[in-house]
Amino acid sequence: MTNSLLFGISTFVYFFAMMLYVSYLAFRSEGLGKAATLTLIGGVVVGTAAMLLRWYESYQMGIGRAPLTNLYESLVFFAWTIAIVYLLMERKFRIKTAGAFVAPFPFIIMAYASLNPNEIQPLIPALQSNWLISHVVTCFVGYAAFAVSFGVSFLYLFKVKAENNPGKKGEGFLGYLPAAEVLDEVGYKTIAIGFPLLTIGIITGAFWANVAWGTYWSWDPKETWSLIVWLIYAAYLHARITRGWRGKKAAILSIVGFGATIFCYLGVNLLLSGLHSYGG
Amino acid sequence: MPEEKKTKETQIDIIDKVWGFFASLKLVIILLLVLSVLSIAGTIIEQNKPLHEYYRLFKPETVALFGKLGLLDMYHSWWFLACLALLTLNIIACTMERYPFIMKGMRNRSVVLDEKTEAGLTNAARIRYSLPAEVVESRVTALAAKSFSARPVVTQKEEAKHFFYEKGRYTRLAFFLTHLSVLVIFIGAIVGSLFGFKGYVNINEGETISSVQTRKGETKDLNFGVKCISFAVDFYPNGAPKDYRSDLSVIRDGKEVARKIIRVNDPLDYEGITFYQSSYGRLPDEVTFEIRGRDGVSLGTVTAPYGTQAAIPGQDVKIEVLDYQEHFHLRDGSEAGPAYGVNIYSQDAPPRGIWVSEPRPEINRFGAYSFVVKNARLKNYTGLQVNRDPGVWLVWTGCIMLVAGIMTALFMSHRKFWIRIGTDRKGRVEVTAGGTANKNKHAFASEVERLLEGFRGVA
Repeated sequence: MTNSLLFGISTFVYFFAMMLYVSYLAFRSEGLGKAATLTLIGGVVVGTAAMLLRWYESYQMGIGRAPLTNLYESLVFFAWTIAIVYLLMERKFRIKTAGAFVAPFPFIIMAYASLNPNEIQPLIPALQSNWLISHVVTCFVGYAAFAVSFGVSFLYLFKVKAENNPGKKGEGFLGYLPAAEVLDEVGYKTIAIGFPLLTIGIITGAFWANVAWGTYWSWDPKETWSLIVWLIYAAYLHARITRGWRGKKAAILSIVGFGATIFCYLGVNLLLSGLHSYGG
Repeated sequence: MPEEKKTKETQIDIIDKVWGFFASLKLVIILLLVLSVLSIAGTIIEQNKPLHEYYRLFKPETVALFGKLGLLDMYHSWWFLACLALLTLNIIACTMERYPFIMKGMRNRSVVLDEKTEAGLTNAARIRYSLPAEVVESRVTALAAKSFSARPVVTQKEEAKHFFYEKGRYTRLAFFLTHLSVLVIFIGAIVGSLFGFKGYVNINEGETISSVQTRKGETKDLNFGVKCISFAVDFYPNGAPKDYRSDLSVIRDGKEVARKIIRVNDPLDYEGITFYQSSYGRLPDEVTFEIRGRDGVSLGTVTAPYGTQAAIPGQDVKIEVLDYQEHFHLRDGSEAGPAYGVNIYSQDAPPRGIWVSEPRPEINRFGAYSFVVKNARLKNYTGLQVNRDPGVWLVWTGCIMLVAGIMTALFMSHRKFWIRIGTDRKGRVEVTAGGTANKNKHAFASEVERLLEGFRGVA
């Protein structure tokens, strides 16, 4: 058993979870819903085992490092965190029909990860630090929360359109989606989780940069984009908490914020050069 | 007179308007979004590159325009700093504006559940009991104590006994923590750039330096010396670097006062000045050349120590070794192996710089001479980033305040809960209870509902 085999299995499990969530939305049978949730939990369990095995294998190779240091490893971790954040939200807010819009993320991300090189490489000197785990974990859990908020906000825009159209109210699959009000609330709650984590992620990154390079902020593209993401969600929180922006405006800001998040994560590495060129 | 009064009023009006503008939430949101859009520009146009790199990418007039607009160093341009200054003013204005309300929210709280307070509660209940008042009181307050650890404020008023519980009163201060933290971080950054410096220095193995070159191009004297005792680099089997380390010794008045092997991620700190492992390289310590004349006849050998002029035997010409490249590339892109940068000094011509290739002597013909590298001894140097930042502790203090503030603002609230124990018109014991929170009302409402359910169970 190798970590890549386990990651392959987890990709399939995420795929089945996605199919089950979509079928649940189409047929709304209790059994399908339960199966969807259990399958997604199964994907998380297999993903956890794969990451732990990869960690163990790195020790056997004499490298010994957390599996969080390149694009491949960050992608599988991202998929895993999205699944967990979604499962927690599903449990708390009972939004299983929204799963069809969130569950595809882990599968798509795993499929994309499989296109990237996945050998276990040793760590270059800059990455040999105790700050690695706290920096990467906080950033990615933050990103994952923003991803769930994006999925839910996107759904909100559809749902609210249907709700405002009384003639068609409750018709089709839109009628079975969680109420717009709930989607709006989940969209906010996930950002409220992601924002402090992103803040801690940026700060641990700054602290680490100060130890490694002697400067806590150098306007490197990755740093700058993480600040842009932070500013957008800070604007969201101000608008929502103090000005009472809700619904459509908030949903659009959440979607824009996630667009910036994805650019910060992938776009910066693919299109711009800078200190984070090792990817992740 | 009325005229004067009018101007005064318009003045106040204008001040009010300006103040209102700075304190407005609209300005916050606009500034946050404007700052993000501006920052994007700085990631698209690479910042602070040597000018010739811009000429490769853009037309000369475009480069000139970018330079004028400050786009080549935009995070330090006047307009970017102006936005940050505006944000600072905005934060200060908002803080002053909110101050009285927040303090009022903390101080002014009714400890008595009167009709007015009761009417303002979203979930309150009146419950009647056929038990003695003392029994009801002890049972109901015992239940409330499970939710609120602090003792209640008890007031006897108009035949009724009032209990006031509260939690998280100080969470109202989260606003100050969050917003002032940003100012603390800014102050830290300003202190760092005014009173600190960022520099670099290369130290050859075995040598000592006592000054560094700053980023601004100045020479900064340290009042101590730093010696690089040794430098080493390890590689993984696949060729990737594994570890760079420099054994550094700090020397003051001829005595070693500190010593440390520094690595990437593990710098040396001495008297507020930090030395970071940043790069490394090799320089020729001493190179021996065989010099040949135009006809290919050997003129003899020259041994040139690094940075010292050495004469070619029988000629009025001197050479000096100044540079080294491990992988020297010719103009056609082919590699000519290790090469040495040499200056040639002769009486009748200005000094001339050449690259002498070690593996390909046939290309080393320069004017009347050609060079063959006979022997070369290299030495390592370590490249260090050298910083002093007296503002950095302010930045970290601000960061801790920021995280604490955000967590408090998003996840905690000021929760208040009242119980009034009195009697209804028929003389039965009546408990009125309810609560309110300034944030996360939903969560607190269900907590209150659970409590009230417990109260009903007392009967």
